[in-house]
Amino acid sequence: MKEYFLLQYRMTNRKFVAFGIPIVIGYLSILCGFVWGSEYLFSKIDFAEYIYVLFGFYTVSKLNNKERIDFLSSYFDKYYKLRVIENCIVISPFVLFLLYKGMFVLIPIMIMLVLLLTLVKLKNTFNYTIPTPFSSNPFEFPVGFRKTFYIFPIAYYITYEAIMVGNLNLGLFAIVLIYAVILSYYTYPENEYYVWVYKLSAKEFLIKKIRRGIYYSLLLSIPVVLVLGIYFYEEIELLLTILFISNCFLVTTILAKYGAYPNKMDVSQGILIAFGLLIPPIFIAIIPYFYFQSIKRLKNILND
Amino acid sequence: MIRIENLFKKYGKKEALININISFEKGKVYGIVGENGSGKTTLFRCIAGLEKYKGAVSSDLGNLKNSLGLLLTEPYFFSKITGKEYVQLLSNARGLVIEDIEEKNIFDLPLNEYASNYSTGMKKKLGLLAVLLQKNEYYIFDEPFNGVDIQSNIIVTEIIHRLKELNKTVIMSSHVFSTLSDTCDEIYLLKKGELVKRVLKKDFEELEKEMKLVTIGNKIDKLKLE
Repeated sequence: MKEYFLLQYRMTNRKFVAFGIPIVIGYLSILCGFVWGSEYLFSKIDFAEYIYVLFGFYTVSKLNNKERIDFLSSYFDKYYKLRVIENCIVISPFVLFLLYKGMFVLIPIMIMLVLLLTLVKLKNTFNYTIPTPFSSNPFEFPVGFRKTFYIFPIAYYITYEAIMVGNLNLGLFAIVLIYAVILSYYTYPENEYYVWVYKLSAKEFLIKKIRRGIYYSLLLSIPVVLVLGIYFYEEIELLLTILFISNCFLVTTILAKYGAYPNKMDVSQGILIAFGLLIPPIFIAIIPYFYFQSIKRLKNILND
Repeated sequence: MIRIENLFKKYGKKEALININISFEKGKVYGIVGENGSGKTTLFRCIAGLEKYKGAVSSDLGNLKNSLGLLLTEPYFFSKITGKEYVQLLSNARGLVIEDIEEKNIFDLPLNEYASNYSTGMKKKLGLLAVLLQKNEYYIFDEPFNGVDIQSNIIVTEIIHRLKELNKTVIMSSHVFSTLSDTCDEIYLLKKGELVKRVLKKDFEELEKEMKLVTIGNKIDKLKLE
């Protein structure tokens, strides 16, 4: 069992190395990001603790897919012990943060939920297909939406809360949340077959991806922007600016993805995108830079 | 026609394909046979342009990949894409809009379920269906019969015959000799990255005998089964 956890540790380290960052910096970044994200959530949302517990539960549930469980249960005698330890390790940052916040009641509930997960095998093979409005144009949005569909009611609820308490920042957080989820659809490079198969030039391929990305993102975010625009009419310019920047960010991410294709985005691209987020006018330079990188990469695979 | 001239492919120092010269004509079905690791899939990937190589691959339709239907040994499916969406995706990629997909679902696949939950044979059939609906001129089928049930096996064989009638070019591999002898006009034997033999239909029987002799030899005796 010790070997299993050591292997997990080594595999995590390899991911940092592959991403191009020193291992210590990798762990520190995750820690800082986690603390900042948690603080932000608690500072902006009422009843954040419940969302937090759900988020912790969701994180642990990601370890619970059928193939993984089948593998572990067939190779380890002390399977349940291993699962309990593993789930406790993953949930511990959430528990520690709740302790720090003094929310002691939720801690045993969260631990119990997580321990219950060790007894359950979440099947990927259930027959229900989650409907999506994006079915006619696979694949990013239908696939991504099915994986993250529960985020959107949360975002729309946050919008409702923002209006109820008259807090525009909360509403802006809902827009950012929607775009953060959409960006995750473009994080990993798809199998090369799904690029190769297109009868398009590199330029046409990128335009198609960007156009579809923006269109579907607007479908998901416009309801929030519209409602906020009505209730915070005097801040309409700010709302539209946030929407515009979010779309710039989306375009940059799509271009960065294909700029590295078929590899994953590396740390230098990550830094450039982060700069764009901090100083949005930089997008004017970043977008063309990633565009030409993408064209270069895609020309090979599309035989353009 | 697809023409391959002086094709070489290396992975590091290992030579995967050595000086391949071959032409695939319209209205013909070609079989590529060889042991595991002999280079069949690498050859298919090179023809498709999925691998870099030395040499030339050309077709009389210009950019070959835009008229090529490629069915890989193990088609890859996203975890949350339905069979119907997969077919749509591959058709959209070629600028086609497929209507009445359900009617064209000749393998009776559960198209509204996630493709990743399909069995190996169903995945193969879905991959084949999607590639066929792309209306290609050339087809590469890497082990199209792998994992497919007997009924569908018959359908796949008939599909290949129909493609031949429609003057399409089909290149395929299979580990079951009878599936090749039923469908192919010519079979090429690939050995350690080299095309060592071209066999015409009239000599298929002889090729099978020869392969059995070379492959089996006295290997089974070595097991000393009791």
